[in-house]
Amino acid sequence: MEPLDAAAAQDHLEMVNRILAESHQRLCNGGEYFVVWGIGSAYITVLAQLVHGGLVPFAATWSLPIVIAVCAAFSIVRSRQTRLVLQRSSLLQREFFNVLWLTLGLAFVVDIAGFNIFTGLAGAAIWSVAEAIVLLYIGMHGNRRAQIAGVLVVVSLVAANFALPGIAGYVLGAGMLLGYAGFGASELLARE
Amino acid sequence: MDELLLSKVRLGVVAELLNYDWVAFSELVRSLDTTNGNLGAHLSKLVDAGYVEEEKSFANRRPLSRYRLTKRGREAFANHVAQLQSLLKAAT
Repeated sequence: MEPLDAAAAQDHLEMVNRILAESHQRLCNGGEYFVVWGIGSAYITVLAQLVHGGLVPFAATWSLPIVIAVCAAFSIVRSRQTRLVLQRSSLLQREFFNVLWLTLGLAFVVDIAGFNIFTGLAGAAIWSVAEAIVLLYIGMHGNRRAQIAGVLVVVSLVAANFALPGIAGYVLGAGMLLGYAGFGASELLARE
Repeated sequence: MDELLLSKVRLGVVAELLNYDWVAFSELVRSLDTTNGNLGAHLSKLVDAGYVEEEKSFANRRPLSRYRLTKRGREAFANHVAQLQSLLKAAT
């Protein structure tokens, strides 16, 4: 092959720069996970508040493990489906999914293993913190909707702290629903 | 300069793979605006040189070939681009 002259070198470099600039660095590629887990976590939190307030019988708490199992089953099935057909998976996306599963997995384990320490709404607050970390991590990489959603979850956490005990769970649940599930819904709409 | 990366198509393939984990053959054809045969020939050379790793599987009963850059390919790309920049700098 002929050695390159300056013009050809410039042509090659321009092509490389164009390709790198067009590299699609879309971090969040799974709005459906956010919708499912956002609704699931909000349901658990609101139900706990309703049971605590005596508005719903204690027997309804049997639905909690079912909701968690449904969310987990959906995540496993969906991730297996998308792994097979995903045409591109950026290194950044892989790192993001590691952060997502580590954060939520740890929050889940802490909630289950530390239920004597994190009583009442403390478990829900841990979920809110985990969700805020995931959203703000996405936001750090330039996703404005994730930044807003992350702030929304943090605001709901602070508001719940100062809210009356009878409504703190609803405030946390609203943050999960609007922030986490809302972000997922907005990602799905943007993808369409 | 790296002889293998003097080809614009091969350089383009390596640049396309730089930010991604795995990229499908069909995606590379579309991005680089080339033909299946042409791209296949260039990819074979990159795979043979150890710059690119190939994975063949099936997705929804259809064959799926995916490619990713190896550490060797990444280093070769960085060196080659540095040399292109030096050449350009020397010429101006």
